[in-house]
Amino acid sequence: MRRLLSLLVALGTASAVGSCDPVRDDAISALGGEAPGVPPGPLHRPGQPCLLCHDGSAGDASALSIAGTVFSGGNTLEPSVGATVTLQSADGTKVTATTNAAGNFYLTPDTYAPKYPIRVISIVQGGASVTMHSHIGGNGSCAACHTDPPGPASPGHVYFSNSGISP
Amino acid sequence: MTSSKLVSHLLAAMLGAVAVACSVPSSGARFDEQTPDSAGFPPVASMLVQACGTLDCHGTIGRNLRLYGDTGLRYSPTDVPSTLVPTTADEVTQDYESVVGLEPEITSEVVAAGGANPERLTFYRKALGLENHKGGAVVVHGDPRDVCITTWLQGHADASACTAALTLP
Repeated sequence: MRRLLSLLVALGTASAVGSCDPVRDDAISALGGEAPGVPPGPLHRPGQPCLLCHDGSAGDASALSIAGTVFSGGNTLEPSVGATVTLQSADGTKVTATTNAAGNFYLTPDTYAPKYPIRVISIVQGGASVTMHSHIGGNGSCAACHTDPPGPASPGHVYFSNSGISP
Repeated sequence: MTSSKLVSHLLAAMLGAVAVACSVPSSGARFDEQTPDSAGFPPVASMLVQACGTLDCHGTIGRNLRLYGDTGLRYSPTDVPSTLVPTTADEVTQDYESVVGLEPEITSEVVAAGGANPERLTFYRKALGLENHKGGAVVVHGDPRDVCITTWLQGHADASACTAALTLP
């Protein structure tokens, strides 16, 4: 009886702590550790695919529905602080988020549960506005597609540009 | 049954299985593919790239229906998405091959039937949401995307419908 109980406890712990998706686990491992001096929180890991961890899985970081980072230029990783990002769901619902000191913005499922596809209506800062040419088909992490360096499969990181060219 | 008989039966069964497994189609067995119109495909490609080809959907290298285009995955290693470099002829060709290559036999049947019953095609059923599709129902019967696809399969792609489809959310 005691052995059975121990086994059940072990199984329960394993299922709560462990992930059943080795691909996801590998992708998270590939992100590396936290930057020195930046604890987990709203300012951590700018430019990384937030929802890889923040997907609402049991035992994980808090769930996010949409999240990303806006940088101040295509050739710099300086954050674009205070930029407002306006998104529109397929059902017409609009929502706005503002980037923090790291350039990060995020929305939680209880404040915004988008219906895909989503459009980035605008990223506004200092009276200037840029938009995004394509819609978002189903992944709420900007950095799932916007990875560096730019290439055939990625436009590079999201950035605000006074030229009005889309990120 | 004696053990020697059992062994001989087993051997016969195994030889039979090997013979069936190793048989090759006759040299006359050929599939005459009837492909949809390639000349009329460019506006269809534009619609598909806009509706389905984002980098988080079918603009991904690992997809069976892999779409290349200006706002998604680029075919040339020197091109970058969303840099206002229009979809190239090579990308349209790749998109055509991708769509036609999904289910060549069924596509051929649909084309031979003048585009009748396109629901036979998995990609069309998925687009309508009739079959499990992560992107949901992105086509509705009678909407410009639907007209764009079905007229192409009928052999006379309605370019104006394909263009109108680009304005859909």
